[in-house]
Amino acid sequence: MIRLTIDYALCTGNGRCHALFPELFDDDERGYGRVLTEELGDKQLEHAQRAVIACPEQAIKVTTD
Amino acid sequence: MATDRTAGFHYISERGEVFQAADGTWLLTSPEAVRFAHRNPEIFSSAKAFGGTGLPVPLIPVAVDPPDHVKYRRILDPMLAPRVINAMEDELRAQVRELVEAFAPTGSCDIVADIAKLYPTQVFLTLIGLPLEDRDDLIRWVETMNENTITGTDEPTPIVVEAAMSLFGYIQQAIDAKRGQTGDDMLSRILAFTGEDAWTNEEVVGLCILFTVAGLDTVTGAIGFTMLHLAQNPELRRQMLADPELIGPVIEEVLRLEPPAPTTPRVTTQEVEVCGVTIPDNSPVMLCLATANRGGDRELPDDIDAEHGERGHATFGGGIHRCLGSHLARRELRLVVEEFHKLIPDYEVAPGIQPKVVWPSSTLHLESLPLIFPPAGSKQ
Repeated sequence: MIRLTIDYALCTGNGRCHALFPELFDDDERGYGRVLTEELGDKQLEHAQRAVIACPEQAIKVTTD
Repeated sequence: MATDRTAGFHYISERGEVFQAADGTWLLTSPEAVRFAHRNPEIFSSAKAFGGTGLPVPLIPVAVDPPDHVKYRRILDPMLAPRVINAMEDELRAQVRELVEAFAPTGSCDIVADIAKLYPTQVFLTLIGLPLEDRDDLIRWVETMNENTITGTDEPTPIVVEAAMSLFGYIQQAIDAKRGQTGDDMLSRILAFTGEDAWTNEEVVGLCILFTVAGLDTVTGAIGFTMLHLAQNPELRRQMLADPELIGPVIEEVLRLEPPAPTTPRVTTQEVEVCGVTIPDNSPVMLCLATANRGGDRELPDDIDAEHGERGHATFGGGIHRCLGSHLARRELRLVVEEFHKLIPDYEVAPGIQPKVVWPSSTLHLESLPLIFPPAGSKQ
């Protein structure tokens, strides 16, 4: 199972995730990212991993179990 | 630095991840060191660093530390969130188009004087609901103030004091005029808070002053640098015009390489170890965003690498003080690039000109950027 999460202890609303990968994230009224679907399919993995690198706060995590 | 930021930034990062400069300031230069400071705002105080500006109001919210800081950001973040900027986009696009149309038929322009200085101030006036006719006065006051650095400890000159007083007077007048009125601009919305949520006059003035000192000069710098790189790199420009998806990555890469605010100040509130170096309590610290942006395991740390343009950088700072205006700034940059190239796809730096940044300065921006191009509308 591939899981996509945002660590809100680190997120400060840079908004790169929902600007770059709107199919994985949307934004709340403060501009903070929200994960659209926590459990990802293989096709979404590449974009999720790019989102991890794009986040200036290193707040996005992709885990596989 | 004036002509080669790469050499200047290398000179700093080569001295180490964390070191003390001759004037006693501690410099944090690596991505890890800068990130550590961003993630520990209680230890690296922004309030102490921005407390002694000599200004009569606190710079809201950058001069506020936890726990109070979050109260301001909970109110301010939604006012500058991407969805708010989306709603302003048509208006902001029309404004930049008008600026470009003014010089497009002439075959030459100075990016700095004709767009980069004018546009951010217009956007600020639009955001807080003031008339665009005030633009040139505001630019003059802010420019005069910025020439004396905001965190400097030198006595301000009479010219600076006069400019500051004019700016404060202008902001106060605007607040007085809007108080009790209804409006959907940012200033009216803040003034409409009542009871426990109401802001003091000092807080509202402080916020407006922060916008003018942090949000105008920096965007001027970023517009100039973006257009400089595109003018000097015709191949990159052609690729970008052929594939508009590259506009975002190109802008991000210029922001990474040429941060208009290359450092941000902090003061320690306790002894702290960063990357193996101990910094004493109450020490002045500079977070070197510019060097952090070129550190780490990047393949092309000192060049535009559009392919990796989505990778994060520290130009807008990080942690709780992440630039409040980052979404607006990014949109301004994109609109300038889009609208400029619609009318002027091909251009170059005027012959014999070596563009220079104003140096020394706490924020980086070009003195001027004269471009020449086939006049828009003419047959080529």
